[in-house]
Amino acid sequence: MAFDAEKEISKLWGDLHGAQSEIGRTYFRWRQAALAVAGPNANPLEVSLKAAEIIGKELGKQSLPRLNFLKGEETWLRSLAGGMAIQWIMQGAIVKIDKGEKPSEIFIKWERCPWPSFHKEYGVKMEEDVLCCDRILQSILPDVNTFFNVNYKIETLKAIPRGQGVCLRRLYKA
Amino acid sequence: MAKVLFEWDYSKYPGAKKFPHLFKPIQVGNLMVPNRIVYAATEDNLNTHDGFVTDADVAYMRSRAEGVVGGMCFMQGVYMDPDRKGQGYVGQAACWDDKFIPGLKRLADAIHSERAVAGFQLMDCGRVGAVEVDHGKGPSTVPQRLRIFRPMYEMSKDDIKLMIKQHLDSAKRGLEAGFDVMEISGIVGYLISNFVSSYTNRRKDEYGGDIRGRMKAVVEIIEGLKKICPKEVPVGIRLCAEELLDDVRGNTPEESMMSYKIAEEAGIDYFSVTAGWQESIVPVISRDVPQGSWLHLAKRSKENVKVPIMMAYRLFDPSIPHKAIEKGDLDIWEMCRPMIADPLMPKKVLEGREEDIRWCVACNLCLARLFRDAPMTCYINPLCAHEHDPRYTNPPPADPKKNIMIVGAGPAGLECAYMAAQRGHEVHVYDKRKELGGTILEASRAPYGDDELMTCIKYQKVQCERAGVQFHLGTEVTEELIKDELPDSVVLATGPVYPKSKAPGFDSANVVNVLDVLRGNAKVGENIIVWGNRKPGIGVGLLLAKQGKKVTLVGKEKSAGFDINPSFKWRYMIYLRQNGIKAYNDCEIDEVKPGEIIVKTYDGYRLPVKCDTIVVTERVPNENLKSVVQAEGIELFVIGDALVPRNLSSAVHDGFHIGVRI
Repeated sequence: MAFDAEKEISKLWGDLHGAQSEIGRTYFRWRQAALAVAGPNANPLEVSLKAAEIIGKELGKQSLPRLNFLKGEETWLRSLAGGMAIQWIMQGAIVKIDKGEKPSEIFIKWERCPWPSFHKEYGVKMEEDVLCCDRILQSILPDVNTFFNVNYKIETLKAIPRGQGVCLRRLYKA
Repeated sequence: MAKVLFEWDYSKYPGAKKFPHLFKPIQVGNLMVPNRIVYAATEDNLNTHDGFVTDADVAYMRSRAEGVVGGMCFMQGVYMDPDRKGQGYVGQAACWDDKFIPGLKRLADAIHSERAVAGFQLMDCGRVGAVEVDHGKGPSTVPQRLRIFRPMYEMSKDDIKLMIKQHLDSAKRGLEAGFDVMEISGIVGYLISNFVSSYTNRRKDEYGGDIRGRMKAVVEIIEGLKKICPKEVPVGIRLCAEELLDDVRGNTPEESMMSYKIAEEAGIDYFSVTAGWQESIVPVISRDVPQGSWLHLAKRSKENVKVPIMMAYRLFDPSIPHKAIEKGDLDIWEMCRPMIADPLMPKKVLEGREEDIRWCVACNLCLARLFRDAPMTCYINPLCAHEHDPRYTNPPPADPKKNIMIVGAGPAGLECAYMAAQRGHEVHVYDKRKELGGTILEASRAPYGDDELMTCIKYQKVQCERAGVQFHLGTEVTEELIKDELPDSVVLATGPVYPKSKAPGFDSANVVNVLDVLRGNAKVGENIIVWGNRKPGIGVGLLLAKQGKKVTLVGKEKSAGFDINPSFKWRYMIYLRQNGIKAYNDCEIDEVKPGEIIVKTYDGYRLPVKCDTIVVTERVPNENLKSVVQAEGIELFVIGDALVPRNLSSAVHDGFHIGVRI
């Protein structure tokens, strides 16, 4: 049987995008469920931030076996940043990593991200998107810092949901 | 004896001789209407967001009233409930309190000032309402098909009684404001249609069940209106003759005709026949639907009821309703979009000035804007919804008068040319081609009704000739020509250019230009890549697919047809599928190889696609003469695709705006 590369690849690509969309929708369905169970007095942002914290902590633990300090701190930092970026890339974002001015500094740049669109679709404030991403990233770091006995922090310099075109975050040694 | 509001004598007008059936009187209820022309109630989002009538709306309606030359002119439907569930448009006029009467009276007076019959419409938007509140109301809580609309709650019997009372109270206010005709809106998904339809009315009580039950609320409104309206005020209804909701088990055509009979039994004086809902999945009024396609519904209605039948829905060319009236299939020609594009359209028909009509191109931009809470605008009529603004309607005379060179005889250049010439400038239009129209000459060859785009050029040509614009066709403007002529101002309306991709191998491929393909001058193979996924790419892609070619669109936009308004775009998406056209959006051509190209997706994946011809539709501004003009110190304006490649509408609006201020 003839192999049609266009058909095969475009089908895979379509399936990938379908799955990526489901990631976003599933998150918001669970958010709705959590809010419904929490009752009318619950603050939606607090619920979302708690979820972000759990997600970040989980990702931090997952990253520990993949990071190796023996390759040098600069490479280690790049791996840590790459591990952060890949979470969003899998969800459909385009994320790039740029060197900072010092070896202990690195920039992560989200050039495109599906999450603001999901927030819009589900009527959730854009700022919640920024704060939740911050919380996920910050929650990755405590276990990593403890495990490798370092002290890295991350800060948000720009955010797509704030209309700044890209999300730009600085990961640096405090 | 039927009441006559205004005497009109059309006997001396050429249009009345050419279309005698359009300009003969008709009795509607106990009112004698001088002709068969109606401007249908149309929302315009021009009023305040709390429902008060504005100067803009009054001026808008006055110009439409002038257009109907004595016929019926309906103001937009009013919402009638203070909790605003019935409000479907942010700028919709309200009528739930006496405080709105003065504004409504201004509209009635404006219509009467043109000696036209003033129509008032009661419109609770029901399922497509609640634009400013969280929930809409309806007979049942059937979920929305379109996300843009709000969730519903089911009306109680008390709610229904209140809704009927609100109709009657609002009608009283309409009468007090001075309106001559009372109309109920029961179309496209509004509340009355929600009651009538088996799709949205699942009630088990006396307001649901069979068609008689589903019509009960409507009958109570009609009977109430007949009691409160003086006998010389006709009561009519806009009602679906076919809902086109078979896929969701809406009314059958037989049930729809039954609804007509029931309304007639209740005392209705006329019907406005409509087709389809906003939720229908078949096209009804877009350009791809041939004119006159829905006349069979008017005929069917005539066969079922005795009162007058009016209809809009793709009846732009006056000869179509004229013939239908002559044959007895229709009584009255109703329209909205043709009079959005040209408010004086029927007046021009009467005066024998059809060449002066700016024809609607059935793009539905007007509707798309309304649904997105924007004020009314028209794709091809820059004056629309600016009738109150003298900067638009009465631009200042040229001072000083200038010698203007317009380079490019497309829609942007022509619009600018006649506007500037009307103000007193000396205007010269140059084009290297021997025909007027620019890229519309080719764009109008795309399938699905795009030939109607040429009506814009025909109109502009007549206006240019009347205004004394001098054409220099077949003349390419060069640096030397500019230096020789040394005009006071140059307007560059040179359209776009079609650059090749920088992808490796692109130069060696069989690459052709979209304009050559549309003209039929290019030799193309069987497997065609159309580079560019905006409207030009879709148009040429569909043309080639209809010739049996395998077409693939590759473009940078996130969705194909990004530049087509949403109320029309969905049609093109269906046509792409029907014609087997695959679209790779958000993609680039990464490499061109013998017999195939490599498409690169935005997220970095690469895939091969068979290709023997690449049709370039991606555009960039043509800036060839810009530096020459600037170097000479001549005042320069750049419009249309020469500024930013967009669409016909942008070209016309650009041309207009520069034409009135140059």
